Amino acid sequence: MIEEVLEVLVFPGALFIIVISLFYEWVDRKLYARLQNRVGPHLAGPFGILQPFADLIKLLSKENIVPAPADRFTFTFAPIIASAATLFVCMFLPVTGLKGILSFEGDLIVVIAILSLYSIVVYLAGEGSRSRFASIGAARGALQLLGYEIPLTLTLLSLAVSARSLSIAGIVKAQVERGLWFIADQHIIGFIIFLIAAQAEMERIPFDIPEAEQEIVAGWEVEYTGTRLALFRLSEDFELFFLSGLGAALFLGGPAGPVIPGLEPLLYTVYFLIKTTFILFLFTIIRAVFARLRIDQMISFSWKWLMPFAVILIILTEVLA
Amino acid sequence: MSFEVNIGPQHPIHVEPIMLDLKVEGELIVDVDVDVSYLHRGIEKGFEVRTYLQGLYLAERICGICNCAHTLCYCLNVEQLLGKDVPPRAKYLRLIVEELSRMHSHLLWLGHYFHTLGFETLFMYFWRDRERVMDMLELITGNRVTTAYNTIGGVRRDITSEIEAKLRKALDYLEERMKYYEKVIDNEPTILARTQDVGILKPSEAISLGAVGPHLRASGVKHDVRLDDPYSGHDEVPFNIVTYDSCDCYARVKVRLGEVVESINMIRYALDHLPSGEYRLKIPPFFKAPEGESLARVEAPRGELVHYSISNGGTSPYRYKVRTPTLANILSVVYMLKSRDGHEVYIADVPPILGGIDPCICCTARVTIVNGVNEARKILSLNELSRLYRERRR
Repeated sequence: MIEEVLEVLVFPGALFIIVISLFYEWVDRKLYARLQNRVGPHLAGPFGILQPFADLIKLLSKENIVPAPADRFTFTFAPIIASAATLFVCMFLPVTGLKGILSFEGDLIVVIAILSLYSIVVYLAGEGSRSRFASIGAARGALQLLGYEIPLTLTLLSLAVSARSLSIAGIVKAQVERGLWFIADQHIIGFIIFLIAAQAEMERIPFDIPEAEQEIVAGWEVEYTGTRLALFRLSEDFELFFLSGLGAALFLGGPAGPVIPGLEPLLYTVYFLIKTTFILFLFTIIRAVFARLRIDQMISFSWKWLMPFAVILIILTEVLA
Repeated sequence: MSFEVNIGPQHPIHVEPIMLDLKVEGELIVDVDVDVSYLHRGIEKGFEVRTYLQGLYLAERICGICNCAHTLCYCLNVEQLLGKDVPPRAKYLRLIVEELSRMHSHLLWLGHYFHTLGFETLFMYFWRDRERVMDMLELITGNRVTTAYNTIGGVRRDITSEIEAKLRKALDYLEERMKYYEKVIDNEPTILARTQDVGILKPSEAISLGAVGPHLRASGVKHDVRLDDPYSGHDEVPFNIVTYDSCDCYARVKVRLGEVVESINMIRYALDHLPSGEYRLKIPPFFKAPEGESLARVEAPRGELVHYSISNGGTSPYRYKVRTPTLANILSVVYMLKSRDGHEVYIADVPPILGGIDPCICCTARVTIVNGVNEARKILSLNELSRLYRERRR
């Protein structure tokens, strides 16, 4: 009993997820800065490794402002639900073994549903703050969801078809059994779609349209301050960790790799983190080499390119299976 | 259903106070109202109470980025009043520093422009390379931004062979970088998607709206004060006028990039053919200008800059008038921001279009009360003016 509680709360549960997410935010920021010929965070801790943590503490200590016209209930609960939902999905990642803390047949569907829930919460947060910039940002976020969600779902389902399983653990196991990662066959198309759609899901360049700083200030989160903003920032970090981890688990074989008997959990964790960091690098490089698209360009891009390729992928998978 | 979105007076895209009242339907802009009168500094009045030499320092501070163009224009103006001609070496030195400051302004603009498109990496790259130009400006003039280089009757400092060698090295580096940027901008799909066919301004429209400078040249009109009215050795130094025919935001990027390359070549030529001799005339700090009026035009980085002065024979101008390029270009922004038939403008297009003219709002605020029916002008007292302003903003 106590072991299970520790597993959920400490490792590889909540505390581990918070620490690793903040660490990944640092990796992302540092690499992004180096790609731009900047130094990046370098003050808090060695190489600025504690900077995301310091930012979080700073935000928590700031004043909480609720704008007068805002809907107080939505405004308060949106960040709580967003951070809880993203922390929850991270529990599905197979970190120490082939299974996550939570794992059951059909958890892939749950994960997709919760990711959509996050986008809906973001929409509510924007509309709930009753600011013009926020409502434009919220509308853009909802529109963007229509663009990337279906190709992303089709991509994940085609993996499920190949693995004959609707769970993340099942897909990892299928890769172990056949001894070949999914990225090595036709699912490379899916991997590219996943990278692009994940970038849209996380609202990062080139798809940071809902919070475009130069156009609508900060989009849906413009009115957020203090603890509420900190929770949104934290949920963005969770999302970054989760999507990197999901990519590693579904396309790169997750925690699987050569193991020494007796040391499996440790080695699994190391393999998983290496692969996750690789995916994170790809995310950061995409962020560094593009300009922001316009919302109509984003929608037409996803329906003209992502969608047909996702359909081709699922047909190809069905034919080859 | 349409509602209003206010871009400004405080907005991350522009550090200076400009207000764009956008009337939007969803993401489409249907109407726009622009207000630039947040920062009236009374500089033209300030010239009237300063001596000619003191006015030079005021002219320098009209705009931080175009400070070289403003002092050059001021000096040309006063020299015309005095009827003096500067030595040939001073002309070439003025040209070198003017082109350097054009490079600095254009590189700053290019970086900032990609920042407005959300391309942070290119922003950092451009600004890193701009540092080389700033270092050169510091080496030649002693200052990074407010260069204080031009003075009435010439320039303040001479170029040594040591500085020349460093300058040539920096130019080689920058030429290499410009080739790289040209490749990036021509091939990067997201940049093309955001700039091509955005903010179309046809040549006839550009002329009728009074656009100037790179903004006008990006509409394919070959207009440049350096060519039309050579003022500082431009008749001796060969250069090409960069124009581009696509009339959109992409053209504005290409024109400015091309002008940086042109400036590099001009500086090289000027260094090769630098005349020897004096670099400034001896002009006393206090002098009386003869009665008369004079007008000087300079191609500032942002476009045509006009200084006009009337002298009544005193130690300071009787009236001084400055027409900055942004004041000429702001009308075309209002035109470009409105959705017309077959030309849709999205909220996301506001930063590229507004940024496309390289706006400098602090030079722009002017007050003239014009009766729209018979075009009669009126002079208001300060109290009347502030009352009018409060009513307008309510």
